[in-house]
Amino acid sequence: MDTPKRPVPIVNPWARPFWDAARKKRLVIQRCGDCNTYIFYPRIACPHCFSDNVEWVEASGNGIVYSFTVVENNAPSAFIGEMPYVVAIIKLEEGVQMLSNVVECDLDKLHCDMPVEVTFEKLTDEFTLPKFRPVKTF
Amino acid sequence: MSELKGKVAIVGIGEVPTGRFPETAAIYHAIESAKQAIRDAGINKDEIDFCMPTASLFSPQFNTELVTCRVVEELGLKNCKKNCQVFSGGSSSSCGLQMAGSLIASGVARTVLFVHSDRLGTGVTAQGGIDLFSTAGISAEWEVPFGQHYSSIAALSTTRYKYETGCTDEQLAAVCVSNRKWAQMNPNAFFRKPLTIEEVMASKMLSTPLRAKMSNMLFDGGSAFVLTSAERARDLPNKPVYILGESGVVSHFVFSQEPDVSRFGWGKAAKEAFEEADLTPQDMDVAEIYDSYPVYQMIGFEELGFCERGEAGEIFMRGDTWPGGRIPCTTDGGMLSKGHIGAGGAVSLLVEAARQLMGKAGERQVKDARFAVETATGGTYMDAQVTILGTEIP
Repeated sequence: MDTPKRPVPIVNPWARPFWDAARKKRLVIQRCGDCNTYIFYPRIACPHCFSDNVEWVEASGNGIVYSFTVVENNAPSAFIGEMPYVVAIIKLEEGVQMLSNVVECDLDKLHCDMPVEVTFEKLTDEFTLPKFRPVKTF
Repeated sequence: MSELKGKVAIVGIGEVPTGRFPETAAIYHAIESAKQAIRDAGINKDEIDFCMPTASLFSPQFNTELVTCRVVEELGLKNCKKNCQVFSGGSSSSCGLQMAGSLIASGVARTVLFVHSDRLGTGVTAQGGIDLFSTAGISAEWEVPFGQHYSSIAALSTTRYKYETGCTDEQLAAVCVSNRKWAQMNPNAFFRKPLTIEEVMASKMLSTPLRAKMSNMLFDGGSAFVLTSAERARDLPNKPVYILGESGVVSHFVFSQEPDVSRFGWGKAAKEAFEEADLTPQDMDVAEIYDSYPVYQMIGFEELGFCERGEAGEIFMRGDTWPGGRIPCTTDGGMLSKGHIGAGGAVSLLVEAARQLMGKAGERQVKDARFAVETATGGTYMDAQVTILGTEIP
């Protein structure tokens, strides 16, 4: 069976700054100018106070693995060649959560609440995905 | 809180076997289930004035037939005023029940036929099913590019649940064993051979710590129920199964946005539903808990209040949820053993709750069942829907 190409994000216009920044290896999220809450994923208005006054800010890139799994079998077609790969929910220092992959990691050492930092993997000329790797502790 | 308590009742149920039927058209599963439900209700088919088919996922063309009144015409429902789809993925049972109940309580409709059918077992290939469920309801911008799919989603819940509670893989497997014991007595279930914890633990690893036999499988099937007013229900042959309480919490669209993937909104929804019913978990004779993967049945069981957080594993191991046990749970075998039929996974659980309360569950009948709780959730566990049903109005 032919393996389909890895799917690229289907981008909404208001989220474009996130993907433009990722291509330059920068992780940006939104913050509400009125209630100061960090926001991810990008919204057209603050999902907390409903203000339109949302702005882009640089994220620290540091966070923890809230939960994870190693996909060993029965992956979607486009990911069969990637197995085993790690799917994880990352909780950033700023308090927002995002789905990503943990890379550059000994699979046996993965654990919940493990500290991680952002790294970037080019998918296509247009898209670079933010991924996470364990924070080196030496 | 709603105004539905004791006002409306399920009066008839129907269901076709779950399985792989390559020669059977999808419409058969719908109209056979509906025919059974109408006959079971003891009403004339022309009493149905509102037909509510929920969605089928395997074919947009077939789903369009459901939307464009095919069930009404096939069955010859002569006085049907509206045919309208109500769909919220896996929670369509609860949302459909509330919508249908509200139409009846408000006088807009008198008798509603709710019906589900799908052909996910033979209408799509196995890999096609994986691929369908690696996009359906999963964010194309924020999750699909990272290889998210329904097994990895369930695994993310399982990993965190194990981390927070100390639950073991054997305890997860015990949920599958418990549901299989019920399925062995359900002629409509696909998996009916005995299952052991060892067999579950020996099955192929999919997404750690989730193994193949901890996963639901997709099949063809269908089920239906008829809902009418409590007043009309009292003239009909079946014991009326009243809606006594209900509530729900919508928590997310993108799974990774869920702040608590090992609890969700079940606690709040359950508290409100039990309060409306004026009942407690201890009053329940049957717990029909949504079980697409074992962790969700454990979370539901705990958050509904059947035990403390972290105790479900021990309870499923001990057999309290088995036939003859203290808290009969997911008594048709659930999606893990009866088989997953898409939006109908929870429709058949709701039908099973009604079947138990009507006293029509045959070999697996829970003796003198008066009260039941049914749960449902759609998408990537986007909502927590809890319904309390009973043959008496407390």
